[in-house]
Amino acid sequence: MSQPSAVVEFQNVRKAFGSTVVLDGIDLKIPPGETTAIMGPSGAGKSVILKHIVGLLQPDSGSVRVLGTDMASADQDALFAVRKRFGMLFQDAALFDSLTVAENIAFPLDHHAPHMSAAQKRERVAQTLEMVELPGFENRATSGLSGGQRKRIGLARAIVMEPEIVLFDEPNSGLDPVTSDAIDNLIVEMKAQLGITFIIISHDIVGTVRVADHIGMLYEGHLVEYAPTPQVLQSTHPVVKRFLQRNLDLSDPEQARLPRY
Amino acid sequence: MRPIRTLGRFGLFVGQFIKSSWGKRPPPGKSLEEAYRIGIKSLPILVIISAFIGTNLAIQGYAAFQPLGGQRLVGMFVALAGVRELAPVIAAAMIAAKAGTEMASQIAVMRIRAQIDALEVMAVDPVWYLVTPRFLGILLVLPALTILSIFSTLVAAYCVAVFQLGLNSFEFIEYVRTSITGMDFVYCMIKGWVFGLVICSVSCYCGFNAKSGPEGVGQATNAAVVTVAVSCVMLNYLMSEIFYG
Repeated sequence: MSQPSAVVEFQNVRKAFGSTVVLDGIDLKIPPGETTAIMGPSGAGKSVILKHIVGLLQPDSGSVRVLGTDMASADQDALFAVRKRFGMLFQDAALFDSLTVAENIAFPLDHHAPHMSAAQKRERVAQTLEMVELPGFENRATSGLSGGQRKRIGLARAIVMEPEIVLFDEPNSGLDPVTSDAIDNLIVEMKAQLGITFIIISHDIVGTVRVADHIGMLYEGHLVEYAPTPQVLQSTHPVVKRFLQRNLDLSDPEQARLPRY
Repeated sequence: MRPIRTLGRFGLFVGQFIKSSWGKRPPPGKSLEEAYRIGIKSLPILVIISAFIGTNLAIQGYAAFQPLGGQRLVGMFVALAGVRELAPVIAAAMIAAKAGTEMASQIAVMRIRAQIDALEVMAVDPVWYLVTPRFLGILLVLPALTILSIFSTLVAAYCVAVFQLGLNSFEFIEYVRTSITGMDFVYCMIKGWVFGLVICSVSCYCGFNAKSGPEGVGQATNAAVVTVAVSCVMLNYLMSEIFYG
């Protein structure tokens, strides 16, 4: 079977809340097996794009196809079938406070992997914790975790089902620069290990440049630029230039470093 | 317009709950956990409030009937007012205050922390996962708590009537016994189930529709307890009309 050209495809998507148009004719194709970042200033509609991908919002017009399924016309069963194929790291990790770290990570397995024994689940949780560099955290309460640790546990939960797509909603928000770097490195390492599609929503240009193969720039409901990362860095589009200049010092080798180009 | 819209949304929520739960097994172990939590947490306050309702009914009954020479009717008064009307409403009010507010605030916090979105994204129906166990738990314990409320009311009323007001113990018990029948207990159980249904559905609805921020949690909790209290009192009248009218 041939590899599909896009795992996520937006066709002329329009979304408004009342009189405010948030997405205005968005066309977007996210290729499989690569890391795509959607960037833009606050209120540009980044989270709305993400919510369309996971089916929490429906477009007013146009279509959103994820892994071949039209998310707008899918019934709940079809929607759940697609959702089982992706994982998501929420902005504040969205961990369940009443559950331990292990229970949080095992949550998708408990609901969608009835064939796995308790021992197999424990082993999978331990392996996933190793991947996010938090071994031995199984019995910790989530309330005692730092922001960075919560993100890692959220990431562990997102990948525990071995999904085809992992979505990140502002993976660096609320983190100090060191922890933020660690999360970025983790994303790069995971990408190398798992080889799956990563979709990142962020306004942190420094981190995004490090991890993304493609960058889309969203501005006032329009996707003003969507290209491979090196091309975006050379973009002449005024909005992109302003966003890059304001957020990224390209003369600083640390910030301009693109490890995989 | 707004109340009608809210009522419509509530109807859709109940419909969604029925669709999500119909024919599906509830999340394993969670219903009993909820029943235990609701029952145990509400028990002390329920017993205390019911007992003091009983003491006051005895005092008021005695004050009303004694000038007419009918103080022996205190037992009947306590049985009719306490068992048929007050005990189920008190049980519902206490469970609304303890368990209903907890349901609304827990779900509201999950809403504002994107945990409900996380459930959806993990392909777990949040209505099934969060509402079904609470619904079953409350249905399991509310009739039992209603009976316990009746028992507390009667025992406390008996103590005041016999030991404080000096009424005849045998007469008090006899009037209670002859005033209420087995059907009264059945009606109380039915009232308990109806109130449980209202507490759970309204509290969960308010939690699911909480607005963002800590203020949203407070508003959801407040709306839940006020709506439940008003609905239960109105439904109590309606059911009493049907059962005794």
